[in-house]
Amino acid sequence: MSSLSASYFDGVHARAHPVTLYLQRDALKIKGDGIDLAVALRDVQWPERTRHGMRVAHFKSGGSVQCSDAAAWDLWSRSGGLHDSLIVKLQQSWRGALFSVAALIVIFVAIQRWGLPVAARGVVAAAPMSVDVSLGEASMQALDNYLMRPSKLPVDEQTRLRAYLAQALQSLPTDSVPHWQLVFRESRIGPNALALPGGTLVMTDELVELVGHDEKVITAVLAHEMGHVRHRHGLRMLVQVTVLGGLASVVLGDFSTLLAGVPVLLGQASYSREAEQEADADAVRVLKAAGISPAVIVTLFEKLEEKRRKSDKRGDATAGQASWVGIAFASHPSDADRVHFFKEAAGH
Amino acid sequence: MDTSVPGPVTPHVTDTLASEPQAHHLPIKFTGSGSEYFRIWIVNLLLMLLSLSVYYPWAKVRRLRYFHGNTLIDGKPLDFHGAPKKMLKGYLLVGLLFGLYSLAGNFSPTAGLVALAIVVAIWPALMKSSMQFRLANTSWCGMRFRFKGSLGGAYWALLPMTLPIVAFVGATVAMPVNGKPTLEHGVAFGIVMLLNLAALPWLFWNLKRYQHNHYALASLQTTFNATVGSFYKVLFKGLGVVVLLMVLPLALSFGLIEVSKGSESRGPFIALIAGLFPLLFMLLVFVTIKPYMTSRIQNLIWTRTGNTSVRFLSHLRFSPLFRLTLKNWGLMIVTLGLYWPFAAVALTRMRLEAVTVKTRIDPDELVNLISAVEGDAAGDAAGDLFDLDIGL
Repeated sequence: MSSLSASYFDGVHARAHPVTLYLQRDALKIKGDGIDLAVALRDVQWPERTRHGMRVAHFKSGGSVQCSDAAAWDLWSRSGGLHDSLIVKLQQSWRGALFSVAALIVIFVAIQRWGLPVAARGVVAAAPMSVDVSLGEASMQALDNYLMRPSKLPVDEQTRLRAYLAQALQSLPTDSVPHWQLVFRESRIGPNALALPGGTLVMTDELVELVGHDEKVITAVLAHEMGHVRHRHGLRMLVQVTVLGGLASVVLGDFSTLLAGVPVLLGQASYSREAEQEADADAVRVLKAAGISPAVIVTLFEKLEEKRRKSDKRGDATAGQASWVGIAFASHPSDADRVHFFKEAAGH
Repeated sequence: MDTSVPGPVTPHVTDTLASEPQAHHLPIKFTGSGSEYFRIWIVNLLLMLLSLSVYYPWAKVRRLRYFHGNTLIDGKPLDFHGAPKKMLKGYLLVGLLFGLYSLAGNFSPTAGLVALAIVVAIWPALMKSSMQFRLANTSWCGMRFRFKGSLGGAYWALLPMTLPIVAFVGATVAMPVNGKPTLEHGVAFGIVMLLNLAALPWLFWNLKRYQHNHYALASLQTTFNATVGSFYKVLFKGLGVVVLLMVLPLALSFGLIEVSKGSESRGPFIALIAGLFPLLFMLLVFVTIKPYMTSRIQNLIWTRTGNTSVRFLSHLRFSPLFRLTLKNWGLMIVTLGLYWPFAAVALTRMRLEAVTVKTRIDPDELVNLISAVEGDAAGDAAGDLFDLDIGL
C-alpha cells in the first residue's frame, strides 16, 4: 500500500499537521502525530489533475489534506486506483484542446451559416403578426421623430403611385402578397425607401424626385421592400442578432463587450446581404408578373451613382468615411452585382 | 512584453523577533499558466455549447478551482468548494426570474415596471446571498472564509444605487410621448443626469464599504476605512483622463479639416484622416480608461481594507497594466478571441501579485490565531443557494 506525505488541516485551526496518507479500497487513512483518521472515499472531494498548482482534497467533515508535490500525489492516487475523469483527460492533453478548438470552429460556422437562419425562420413563423406590427409602429414613431418629416408630395401624385403599385401586385396570387400600406415622407437622410415590419412601406420624396417620378422604377423599389415584408426580415434579423450577441458574449464578453460586438456586426452584415438578395428576387417576381422589365431598376442605381459622384466632388468627409467603412461592414451586396442580377432577370 | 511586475515593495520578512511589533509582508503569488488555462477554457466552452449552457456551473467551478488553487498566500493556496449541482439550481431560479422579467415587458409597460420593481426589491438579497456563497466556498489553510454582511446592510448598500434608475425613468415618463420635448424638460433631464453623475462615487463607495467591512476568516474580520472623498478623487481623475483623451484628438482633427479647407488640392485622404481620427482616439480612450481605473480603484480599495492585525497593501501600477492591456487587445484581435485565457491569466497575475498581506503578528503565530469561532461550522449552508456574477 503506497503512502504519501502531506499536510492535514482540521478545518477549525489554520495550522498544518504533517501526515502520511494511505489510500485503501474504501477509505483514505490519515496518520500523523496524534492524528489517526479514516475518511470514507465518498466523503472526499478529490482535486483534479493540473500541471500547475498543488493538490488539495476536502472532506465532508470540514478537514482537508494538502500536498505541494503534485507529481507525487498524481502517482499515489493513480496507484491507489483513482482515475481522471474524461473531462480532465480532455483538458490535460493538447490533442484534446486542439480537438475542442476544431469542434468549436465547426459548430460556430454551422450555427452562423445554417443553424441560426433556420432557427430564426422557425421562431418568426411561430410568432404572431402582431409582434411585427408593434415593432413596425415603434420604428415608424422613431422615424417620424428623428429622420422624417411629413411629405410635400401632392396627394394626387401619392395616390397615382399607390394605385400603380396596387395594379402591379394584382397579377400575383393574393396569398403571396402580404398586407401592406404605402406612406410618403420627406427625408432628412437623403433618398431612401424602407420597409417596416408589419407591412408599412415608406417612400421618401427625395427618391421620387431622384428617379423623375417614374412609376415603374418606384414600383420596382417598392416591390423590393415588399419582399422584406413578405419574408418578415425585420423580425428575423432581430432574432438572429440577439442569438449571435448571446454567443459572442459567452466567448468574448469576459474580455470586452466592445470586442464582442464585432462578430455580431459582421454576422448581421452577412445576414443583411442575404436578405437583400432575397428581396431582390421577390422584386423580379413582382415586376415580371406585372409585365415590367426588371431592368428598370438599373435607372435607380445609375441615378444614385450620379448623386454619389456629385457629392464626392464636393468632397464630403463623411462620404469618404462611409465608403471606407463599407468595405468591412457592407450590409448590401455591391451595386454592380445587383445591376447584373436585374439585367440577367430581364434577359430571361 | 514581460508580464511580471516588480515584486512586493518590502521583501518577505522571515525574522521571528516577536517581542517587537514588526511588520511582516506575506507575498501573494499566482502560479497559473495561460496555456493550461487555455485547455481548461476551450473544453469548458465546447461543453457549454454542446449542453446549451447547462454545463455552466461545472465550467465555473473548474475555472475558479484553477484560479484559486494557483493563488498562493504565504505559499499556501486558496481553494474553491462550490458544488455545481447546487449552483445549477440557483442559476435556474435566477434565470426563471429574469425570463419572467423580460416577458413582462412585452406584455405591457405597467407589467414591465412592476417586474422591474420586483427585481430591484430582491436584488440586494441576491447579492448578499451570492457573496456569502462565494466566500463560504473559498478556503485557505483548510479554513473557510465568511461574509458577515447583514441583509439590512445589503439593502442600504444597493437600494440607493437604484435612485439613478428611478430618476431616469421619472424624467423619461415626464417627457411628452409625442412631439418635441420642451426646453424646460431638456434642462430638467440634464439636471437629473448631472445629479446622478455626482452621486455615482458615493453610491460606489457605499457598496464597497458594505462588502469590504464584512470579509472574515475565522475571528479575523476586515474593516474598510477609505473615505468618500478618496472615491470622488479617483473617479473624477478618471473623468479628467477621459475628457483629456477625447478633447485633444477632436481638436486635432478639426484643425486638420480647417487647414485643408484653405488649400485647393485637398484629397479625400485628408478627409479620411479627419473622419477616422476621432474614431481611433475614442477606441484609445476606451482601451486606456479601463486599466487606469482598475489600478487606481484596486489600490484604493485594498490598501484601505484590513484590521489591526492584518492589512492589505496594493501597488498596482498603471503603466505595466496599460501595456499588458494593449498587448492583450492586439493578440485578442489577431487570434479572434482565442488569446483570452492567456490574457486572463496575465491580468490576474499582475493584479494579484501587486497585493501583499501586511501583518504585525508573526506568520506562524497568525496561523495559530486563526481558528474557528464557536458556531462557525465549515461550509455555512446559508450561502448554498445562489451564486451570481455581480461585478465586484
